[in-house]
Amino acid sequence: MIGNITLGQYIPGNSILHRLDPRTKILWTMILMVVTFLIDSWLEYVMMGSLVLLLIIVSGIPVRQTLKGLKPLLFILAFTAILNIFLTGGTPLVTIGPVRITYEGVMSAVKLFLRLVMLVITASLMTLTTTPMTMTDGIERLLRPLGKIGVPSHEIAMMMSIALRFIPTLMEETERIMKAQASRGADFDTGSIFSRIKSFIPVLVPLFVSAFKRADELAEAMESRCYHGGKGRTRLRTIHFTYLDGTVTIAGLLYLALLFGIRLIR
Amino acid sequence: MKEMIRTEEVYYEYMSQNEGESGIQAVKGISLSIKQGSFVVVLGRNGSGKSTLARLFNGLLVPEKGTVIVDGISTGDREMIWEVRKTLGLVFQNPDNQIVATTVEEDVAFGPENLGMPPEEIREAVDKSLRMVNMEGYGDYAPHMLSGGQKQRIAIAGILAMNPKCIVLDEATSMLDPVGRREVMSVLKSLNRDNGITIVLITHHMDEAAEADYVLVMESGRIMLRGTPREIFENVEDLRRAGLDVPQVTALAYRLKRTGIRIGQLPVTMDEMIGLMKKLLKDSRTQLNSVARAPSGILKTAGNSQRKGSPQGNPIIKVQNLCHTYMPGTSFERKALRDISLTINAGDRFGIIGQTGSGKTTLVQHLNGILKPDSGTLEVDGLKAEGKELKELRRKVGLIFQYPEHQLFEETVYKDITFGLSRMKLNEDEIKKRVFHAISLLGISPELLDKSPFELSGGQKRRVAIAGVLVMEPRVLVLDEPTAGLDPQGSAEVFKILANLNEKEGTTIIIISHNMEEVAAFCNRVAVMSDGSIVMCDTTENIFRREEELKKYGLDIPQVTRLFRELQIPGHSSPTILTIDEAVDFIAGLLNIPAGGGAL
Repeated sequence: MIGNITLGQYIPGNSILHRLDPRTKILWTMILMVVTFLIDSWLEYVMMGSLVLLLIIVSGIPVRQTLKGLKPLLFILAFTAILNIFLTGGTPLVTIGPVRITYEGVMSAVKLFLRLVMLVITASLMTLTTTPMTMTDGIERLLRPLGKIGVPSHEIAMMMSIALRFIPTLMEETERIMKAQASRGADFDTGSIFSRIKSFIPVLVPLFVSAFKRADELAEAMESRCYHGGKGRTRLRTIHFTYLDGTVTIAGLLYLALLFGIRLIR
Repeated sequence: MKEMIRTEEVYYEYMSQNEGESGIQAVKGISLSIKQGSFVVVLGRNGSGKSTLARLFNGLLVPEKGTVIVDGISTGDREMIWEVRKTLGLVFQNPDNQIVATTVEEDVAFGPENLGMPPEEIREAVDKSLRMVNMEGYGDYAPHMLSGGQKQRIAIAGILAMNPKCIVLDEATSMLDPVGRREVMSVLKSLNRDNGITIVLITHHMDEAAEADYVLVMESGRIMLRGTPREIFENVEDLRRAGLDVPQVTALAYRLKRTGIRIGQLPVTMDEMIGLMKKLLKDSRTQLNSVARAPSGILKTAGNSQRKGSPQGNPIIKVQNLCHTYMPGTSFERKALRDISLTINAGDRFGIIGQTGSGKTTLVQHLNGILKPDSGTLEVDGLKAEGKELKELRRKVGLIFQYPEHQLFEETVYKDITFGLSRMKLNEDEIKKRVFHAISLLGISPELLDKSPFELSGGQKRRVAIAGVLVMEPRVLVLDEPTAGLDPQGSAEVFKILANLNEKEGTTIIIISHNMEEVAAFCNRVAVMSDGSIVMCDTTENIFRREEELKKYGLDIPQVTRLFRELQIPGHSSPTILTIDEAVDFIAGLLNIPAGGGAL
C-alpha cells in the first residue's frame, strides 16, 4: 500500500533546528550547499564536516535517518568517485596495464565523495526538521519581494502545497488503475522497453482524466470556501523570525568568517 | 420562520461542447423556499439536476433566468458573493477532492484564512469546528490517513469554521460505507438540532430522506414532488417511475395494501411499521380465531428461489490458509489477511461483507492473481495463480474494481471493450461475436460502440467497463461494490444483469457490498470478514439470522429482516425473512390470504 507513505520526511521534534524559521533554514541550507563546493583544503573539509556533525547532533534526529537520503544516491556517489580515481592524472600509485591509479585521483575521489555526502545531509536535515506546510510558507515569504517583478509567490506556494496534498492520493490511484488494467489483461512486466512504455497508456489516460476531474472539483471546493487568491488572506500559523534566528545567523556568519579567514591568512 | 433559501423560476443550461448543438437544460424553472433551521432532503436520480441546484445555491453557478436568494442576498450580486458563500457552505461528493491542505487543521483553517480572520480567531474556530464534528485530536493528521466518513466530517468542519447558517451537501454520503454515512448523518442531525443550522442534504439514499423535515424530489430538472417524508413516500409508484425507491418497510406496507389489506397511511419508519403489523396481527387473530393456521409450507415460496444459485455445486474456488501482509518489515506493516480458508462452488452467488478495512478487497484481488499470497494456496478450477497458469486463471476469473468506469481509456467503446481480448490472439469474427454478445447481455446499444467512452453517462460507462471483462468469458465474475454511487434504479439494473449472467451463462458471481438489502436479495451464500479473517461463512438465511454477531462486526441486517425479528410473532420462532417478496408471502400466510403470486 503506497498510500501509507507519510508526506515529506518530516520527523517531529523540538530541537533548535525544528524551531528555526523556515526562511532561515532555507537560506542557510543554500549558503552551506554553496560553501560545500568552495572548500578545498583538508582543514576546510574537517571544519565543514564538524559543522555537519554538529547539526546532526543538535537536530536530535537519529543518524540512521539522516543517512537514509544517501541510499538512492549511492550508485552515483560510487560512480563519480571511481571515475575520478581513474581519470585524474598525476603521480601513479598502481599501474595495471593501461589503467593507472594516481595519488591525486584517489584524493579527489575522496573529496568529491565527502562533498556530496555533506551536501545531501545538509539538505535532508532541512526537510527532516520542517513540515511541508511550513516549508511552502517559507518559500512563499522568501519569494514575496519578487512579486514586484511579477513572480506569483502565493500561487507558487499554493500549487506546491496542493501537489504535496495530492501525491499520496494519486499514487494510490495509480496503483489501483494498474491492478484494474492488469485484471483486464494488461501486461506491465514483459516485452521490450518500447512495448512496456506503450503498456502504460491504459494507466496514464485514466490517471490524467481523473487528475483533471479532481482539479476541477478542487477548484469548485476552494471557491465555495471563499478562496480568492492571496490578497487579504491570513494564516492559522504565521511564521516569525525570533531571537533564535538572529543568534543562529550571527553564529553562521562568524563560522563563515573563520572558514574563509583562515584561507586568506594562508 | 425566516427563509434561508428562496429560488424563483430558476433556469440553468450547460453550454454544449460542440458548436451549434443545443446545451443541456439541467434546471428548468425551479421555485422553492427553504426555511431557516429546517432539515431538507433533495432526492433524485443521477442526472436529475440535483448537483446543479446545489451549485446554484452558493453562486458557483448563476441562473440564466430567475433568482436565487440566500438569507436575503441574491447570488447574482457578485459584490456579495463571498457573503453568500460564507452563509451557505457546500460539501461535495468526493471526500478526496475537497480537502486542500496537507493536515486536517490547516484544511479546516482554509475558509477562515480566506476570510482574513486574525490567527487567534482562526485557531478558536478550528478547534470548535473539529469538536462539533467529533474530530478533535485529529488536527495533525494527513488527510489520506483518514477514512471516507472522517474526511467528509473534516469537510463539514471546514465549512463550520466560517460560521455558516446553512450547509448544503451534494451527495456527500454516496461514496461512504454505512459506518461513514451514519457518522456524517449523526453530525448533521446534531448541527441542525443543537446549533440551528439549516441542512440541505442531496442524496439518493431513501433512509436518509425518511429523517428529514421536508423532502423535494427532482426529476429531469424539475421538482416532481414536495412535502414531508410521509407525504412523499405515499407516492410509491411515482417515485419508482423517477428511478427512486421507498424504504423497505414502506414498500412492504404498500404491497400489503395492494392485496386489499387495510393499511391507511403508509408507515415510513420501523416503529410505525411494527405498530401497524401488531395491529394487523391482532385484528386477524380475533377474526380468524379458530380458523386453522396456514400451512407453514407457504413460507418457502417464489421469493426464495430467486436467491438460489444454479445447482452445479462443484467447488470452483479453493482458498487455503491464505495470508497477506502489506509493506512487511516497515513501520507501516499491516496484516490484511490472516489464515483465510474458503470454498466457493460453481454457480454460487457469493457475497462478501464486512467493514471498510476488513480485507474484502485484498481477498478478491487474490482470486485472479493480482496480489500474491505470502503463504497459503489458491486454486481456481484446478489452476494455480502462478507461472503459466496465471494468465489462464486471470481469464477465468474476471475482476471488476470499484468504480470501474474510471479505468476506461480508449478512443471508442468498441476498442475499450476489446482491450483484454486483443491480447488473446482470437480472430476478428470471434472478437466481434463476443462483443455483441456482451453488449446484449448488458443492454448497451450497438450505436454506442463507435462513440468515445468519455461521452457516455455514468451508468453506461459502468456497463462498458463490465463488458470489457465479460468478453473474456470468465467462469467467475468478481465485483467490488458494483452499485457504489448508482441510484436505486441503476443498482436494480446491475443486479438484473448479474442474475441473468448467473442463470443463463452459469457464471459464478462474487460480490463485495455494503448494502445488506442487496446481499440478502441476491446471494445464496455469504462470508463475513473482520480484521483480515473470515469470521462467519454460511447460507444467506443463516448469516442474517445472527443479528447480534453481525452487529459486533459493525454490520446490520435488512430492514424487513429486522422487522420480523422485532415483531416476535407467537407460534413462529423468529423467521428469517430476507426480502420484501418473502415478507409478503409470510404475512399472507399468517393472515390466511392467498398470496396471489405474481399479482402482488
